[in-house]
Amino acid sequence: MRGAGVRGAGIRGAALAAILCAALGAPAGAAPISTNTALPVGEGEFIFRELFAVGRAARDPSGLDRDLLAWSSTSVLGYGVRGDLALFGVVPYVNRRLRVNTPGGRATRRADGLGDIRLFGRYTLYKLDRPGRTLRIAPFAGLEFPTGASRRRDALGLLPAGLQPGSGSWDPFVGAIATYQTLDFQVDGQLGYTLNTRGDRFEFGDVLRFDASLQYRLWPRRLSGGTPGFLYGVLEANLIHQGRNRAGGVGDPNSGGTRLFVVPGLQYVTRRWIVEAAVQLPVYQDLNGTALKSSYTVLVGFRVNF
Amino acid sequence: MRNLVRVMLVGGAIALAAVQARAVPPAYELAVDGLACPFCAYGIEKKLMSIAGVAALKVDIAKGIVRVTMKDGATLGEAAARKAVEAAGFTLRRFGRVETE
Repeated sequence: MRGAGVRGAGIRGAALAAILCAALGAPAGAAPISTNTALPVGEGEFIFRELFAVGRAARDPSGLDRDLLAWSSTSVLGYGVRGDLALFGVVPYVNRRLRVNTPGGRATRRADGLGDIRLFGRYTLYKLDRPGRTLRIAPFAGLEFPTGASRRRDALGLLPAGLQPGSGSWDPFVGAIATYQTLDFQVDGQLGYTLNTRGDRFEFGDVLRFDASLQYRLWPRRLSGGTPGFLYGVLEANLIHQGRNRAGGVGDPNSGGTRLFVVPGLQYVTRRWIVEAAVQLPVYQDLNGTALKSSYTVLVGFRVNF
Repeated sequence: MRNLVRVMLVGGAIALAAVQARAVPPAYELAVDGLACPFCAYGIEKKLMSIAGVAALKVDIAKGIVRVTMKDGATLGEAAARKAVEAAGFTLRRFGRVETE
């Protein structure tokens, strides 16, 4: 999705796809794994989520045999201000390693550290509650702060923008989520837009994404009183379009494009905690120039309320 | 003498029954709409438990029913229950006291 070569930032989009998914995933109820939900966070209630992601992008059309491995551990804390208003903070820790052919041989470049922190609010604009089901629509808006390092260096010089832990820019984002939940299944749809502004030397392309999630209760098959744990089968889709990056005001022809991922997974939900796992697989990647393509991302996490 | 004993026994039985009746704490049944997963139930529990006099809760998620058991001598008002359920992000459809024997 981003530019080719050692200097290019095309590597960033591959790893960023999974991290964006994790970062935007805000917990509540049997919430989706790779995207957000409109289910409530009760007034005075906290929800903590930790999501681990390992992603690889090694489908390189540039001829440089680029191989990117990206780890992230994203912490999310949600707080219910009111029954219809919740605030979320997202703190990622990232570790990225790129192997690439250079005139001097095979090189490994890496960076790790705190990424860009996100803060956002979500408001329930519409709610229709019925026995055993609910329909909600909730817009959200927030800001990504340039808390991650964006000028790390190694023996080869300044690391590519896509390898840096942070973007170096203040990036607002907005969107809306619709959720329909019953005792048997849940459907979520999310539309989101991130305006990536210019950092100290680089501007990533803006991101427009549409996410959908279906969670189906596999067990217990029949409910017979109390509040048992639910095992959900999960199938999600992430459609992400990113604009071209710009360096020094010049667009990078090897960046940007459109990707579609499918995300099958499992989720076990109890009154107080959730455990979940999924794998994000690319099914369509129409990227500009020689941008590096994603291979897979594994997501594992848990949530607790208190 | 026998009549006095009978009166005392009957009176004691009545007093005992009255004590037992007072010992059963009041309970209420709340029908909550919008509740459809276990993780969501905790938000309702937390708000209801914060109401003074609430001793215990039991959620039946399949029926959307929350049974609230109060401490001895405490009562729960519908307005307070509605406020707690809405603060948790859900809708109170019905509120009623559970008749106890």
